[in-house]
Amino acid sequence: MRPLMIVEDSDEDFEVICWALQKTGCTHPIIRTERAEEALSRLFPGLPQIDRIDQLPCLMLLDLNLPGMNGLQMLKELRQMKQKLSTPIVILSTSDNPLDIAACYRFGAAGYIVKPFKLEQYIEKIRDLTRYWFNTITLPEEKCDE
Amino acid sequence: MTITNVDLSSCDREQVHLVGAIQPHGVLLVLAEPELRIVQASTNSADFLDVPCERLVGQCLDGLLGEENTAAIRTQLVKKELANATHLISVPFLSSQNGVVHISGNRINGLLLLEFELSAGTVEMIPAHAYSSRLQDMIQQLYGSAGLLSFLSVVVEQVRILTGFERVMIYRFDRDGSGMVIAEAKETNLEAYLGLHYPASDIPEPARRLFALSPLRHLPDVDYVPVPLFPDQSPLSDGSPVDLSHSFLRSVSVMYTSYLRNMGVKATLVMPLLKSDKLWGLISCMHHSEPKYLAYEQRFPVELLSRMLSLRIGDLENLDHYAYRTQLIQAYCQLIGEMGRAKNYHDVLFGSKINLLNGINADGAALLENGKVTLLGITPTAYQVGLLAEWLAQQKDAVLVTHCLSYNFQAAGEFSAVASGLLAIRISRVNLTWVMWFRPEVLSETHWAGDPKKPVIIDDEDQESRLQPRTSFALWKETVRGYSHPWLDCEIEHVSKLQQNLHDILAEQTYQLIQLNTELELSNQALNNFVYAASHDLKEPLRGIHNYAELLRLEEDEHLSGQGHQRIETILYLTGRMHHFLEALLEYSHLDHIDQDFQIRSITPLVEEVVDMLKNANPDDCITIDIQPAMPDILCNSTFVKVIFQNLIMNAIKYNAEAVKTIKIGCYTTNGMPVFFVQDNGIGISSEFHEYIFQPFKRLHGHKEYGGGSGVGLALTQKAITQHGGRIWIESGEGKGSTFCFTLTPEHVEERGE
Repeated sequence: MRPLMIVEDSDEDFEVICWALQKTGCTHPIIRTERAEEALSRLFPGLPQIDRIDQLPCLMLLDLNLPGMNGLQMLKELRQMKQKLSTPIVILSTSDNPLDIAACYRFGAAGYIVKPFKLEQYIEKIRDLTRYWFNTITLPEEKCDE
Repeated sequence: MTITNVDLSSCDREQVHLVGAIQPHGVLLVLAEPELRIVQASTNSADFLDVPCERLVGQCLDGLLGEENTAAIRTQLVKKELANATHLISVPFLSSQNGVVHISGNRINGLLLLEFELSAGTVEMIPAHAYSSRLQDMIQQLYGSAGLLSFLSVVVEQVRILTGFERVMIYRFDRDGSGMVIAEAKETNLEAYLGLHYPASDIPEPARRLFALSPLRHLPDVDYVPVPLFPDQSPLSDGSPVDLSHSFLRSVSVMYTSYLRNMGVKATLVMPLLKSDKLWGLISCMHHSEPKYLAYEQRFPVELLSRMLSLRIGDLENLDHYAYRTQLIQAYCQLIGEMGRAKNYHDVLFGSKINLLNGINADGAALLENGKVTLLGITPTAYQVGLLAEWLAQQKDAVLVTHCLSYNFQAAGEFSAVASGLLAIRISRVNLTWVMWFRPEVLSETHWAGDPKKPVIIDDEDQESRLQPRTSFALWKETVRGYSHPWLDCEIEHVSKLQQNLHDILAEQTYQLIQLNTELELSNQALNNFVYAASHDLKEPLRGIHNYAELLRLEEDEHLSGQGHQRIETILYLTGRMHHFLEALLEYSHLDHIDQDFQIRSITPLVEEVVDMLKNANPDDCITIDIQPAMPDILCNSTFVKVIFQNLIMNAIKYNAEAVKTIKIGCYTTNGMPVFFVQDNGIGISSEFHEYIFQPFKRLHGHKEYGGGSGVGLALTQKAITQHGGRIWIESGEGKGSTFCFTLTPEHVEERGE
């Protein structure tokens, strides 16, 4: 099963995200990086992508407010690279500023989730997310196998 | 008392200085320099010079005067500029009359004009000797007089003695060009002219200009026959006649001689009185019984006297108002001193002890500033002052002086009783800032020398409908309306100085205000940015606390005691409240980041949009919302307008305990300004709280009552309204429901009285 990558510097937020993923029944292995730079080096370790397609994350949850390179800068960086990343990136941030949201979509984010204040909402949002990205994407593969 | 313009313009048309003729009591020669060749001569040359004009023209001057005299004249010509007629030499002349000829000259149009006049006596007679004792007498007398009028009465008496004219008057011009006889000496049998007024048309503008040009005008015989120049063709290349403005012998206007004849005058001598190079008045000598010629030597001392007098007029006038001037200077110093100390010059100008009316002879004063009128003393109403200001705005001058306002500005007739006199200074053209002083109307009887409304008669029989001066000089008494006491020079000087000071103060204040505004804007922005960043950064850890408390509750519930469980609930409640609070703070500071996009929008659809949204959010409540269908279109920012209605309607729903919540939204008009309102049947607000409710985070109810708002809704509303220049207020009482009223346009400034 392809892993889920979470770029999040806050241990507390990471714990809550994991808790919510677990509650929704997500079983994907989780790779966590605290910084954007680290995430980039893990994604592009120098090997041709085609050789390790199975190891590439099936989804990335990216925080915006990160030490060093921030989430938005990472999106820009990915855009400029020759090698294109097939992994969809969903932003998970505290900011509900429309300018931030618009900028993320402009630079290729596949989704944007404002970190909810209540755990109940957290579970709901994460459930929506996994339902959409895991179920709808894996479904055609299964059909192809048949 | 309006004077028709017909006379003035007709005199303008009659170009008296270009008549091309002279009076017969002397000879005029027009010469070309440098060879001093005669190019034109008056046709009476044979009478004085024994040479007919035909023979003179073409000849050089030395042929007429001899080489010695011509050389003497040449020396003078080199030395002198001769812009005005100037005495050059006096020569014994080889003529049958055995006299002395006085020659004076002036240069004009590139030509030299020489005027020859016979002396009164023999060559030995030198003017200073003949009149020195009289002059000494006169000066002695003049020293004894105090004040302008007594001084002038001595002058006219002395001039009469010196010249032998039957009547000598001093005539002073008013600002409007009319004049008044202020001193007179005359033969006892003559009718007195002292105190009489003459309309401006009697001495029209062109005549006044000519009087100011030459130190003396003499008309020995009203019935003289003008002497033309020979040849009648002008020596000037463009064919225009030689300008005789400066020539003593110049022929006078037909209007003038007719006027004098109508008055019964046979001869005149007129000298201008100048104050700071401007025509202030005239010394006018008249002879009634017969023609009277005054020779050069006899005229000389009076000409000297008039020049001396011109130098002294300013001083003498000042002397008259010495005490008043001192008083004005003191008042000025006090005002300026106070303005230096006070923060606001406005308070000084309208102070209880020191104010605009200190020292000056005025009954009322007003300040007009940015359309706001402040009044002091007896004045027209604020509305009338506003009208006046509109008129003032069209005036070019920065200082406006009138003692007959309604004649200059007809609408002022309504308040001429309090403001016939107006002295106004402009402080700022941009803000339309004026300071004004008012003087009341003074009804007085003016004695005119003849009907001032009929200064001229148009002689219709003549094909050209020539103008004739009036024939009647019968005393014409008129009750003058719309006049105040005239403003004095020292008063105008006083307000002009104040104008300069106020102007400086205003300029400085404007500069300071701009600086303060810039600083304030920057600090406001910094504060807003801070609030935005801080509340944003606070949200993150707060969310963490809340999440962890929830995790505790969800995952560790079985390990918690009943009290522990309660405490977790309290943490959740408190962090929840803080979250609301931060959201509100963000929204409040966010208003400043909204685009300032103002457009004419119709309000009703905007309100409907908000109402739909709110109804969807409160589907369970029983709410009736009545929206007035056609509210006016307003220049507004739609985001702000939605914020305003959203918060007001939300409050109307929230603070309402009725089974059916009724809300009415509409607009009415007061003073042409649309006032919007949101009315509810809710719990109402006691009047003691009305002034607090618009403050941010001010709440009147507990956090758990009425849905527990953040306390920022009305502050947001007010902020959005302020962005439009409008204001909001509430009409409510406890238990009576509330009506919030607001405007979205800046209000007209109210008039403020004393």
